[in-house]
Amino acid sequence: MAQRSASKRKRQASTTGQPHTHGKSRCLRILRQLSAYIDDELSTNICQEIRQHLGACPNCETFVMSLRQTVSLCRHSPAPTLSTADRALMREKILKTASSR
Amino acid sequence: MSASPTIRRSPASSSRDPQSAKNFDRLYKDHVDLIYRFAHRLCGEPEAAKDLVQETFLNAYRGFDRFRGDAQISTWLYTIASRACRRMRRRRKGAPERELSLEEFIPTSDGEFRLQIPIDGLSPEEALQNKELRHALDAAIDQLPKKYKMVLVLRDMEGVSAKEVGTIMGLNERAVKSRLHRARLFVRRQLSARGLGEPLIDHNHDSRG
Repeated sequence: MAQRSASKRKRQASTTGQPHTHGKSRCLRILRQLSAYIDDELSTNICQEIRQHLGACPNCETFVMSLRQTVSLCRHSPAPTLSTADRALMREKILKTASSR
Repeated sequence: MSASPTIRRSPASSSRDPQSAKNFDRLYKDHVDLIYRFAHRLCGEPEAAKDLVQETFLNAYRGFDRFRGDAQISTWLYTIASRACRRMRRRRKGAPERELSLEEFIPTSDGEFRLQIPIDGLSPEEALQNKELRHALDAAIDQLPKKYKMVLVLRDMEGVSAKEVGTIMGLNERAVKSRLHRARLFVRRQLSARGLGEPLIDHNHDSRG
């Protein structure tokens, strides 16, 4: 909770005109770990460091949001389905090929 | 992913006896939809997917006696399918696979950093009702070099764990995660940079008021 409000304060600071002062190298270090971050695979300390960075860096915050959306879209992409007729036809073909060799 | 049922086999069963045929029917019935979905996502179109499904189950039928039961049946079938897919691709002899480097996904400007996928306020299901977005997603996945595509499909579409993806593809978990990250960055960039700039208004879905 305390982390969340600290992050919120930083975000507010970043959107109220405070310049984005850190160098890009930090963003790039974060960017390399973003999949592990959104998959919840990082240690508590690293997660906290990333959350703090995201709160202060609108660029990285937008980036991580779009990466999350990408994963979410993949997860919800409609599943292609087979017709009953195709299912039966393929079964016949497989058994025929298997018994012919 | 739900656990697959165990198929009982007598150690002496051959691939031609009636018990084998019965086991095959059960294997096929329980898993054909799963393998078709995987194959369709890998191949991008139904006919090639059906060829891959047939190749997979034919190999499973022949190799059934070698299945040791120490993996889930779904993992075993995914492994056979991924090998069959690689063999089919080699036969087609396409262009050599390109490596994706992390560097190519590093944004060079604030604008590039802040490219967005315009689905604000919509759930993924709602957003995917938009044909343009769905086609953009399919096209982005289709453009992935194959070894990255297989990891993305297994992990983010089929919901297989990173460890299982490693088993299926013969990779360690670190390599799986590295490929997955690059694949996601690729798809993110394709989706956010495709000029999907207009808000996604779904004309067939106006229940949102």
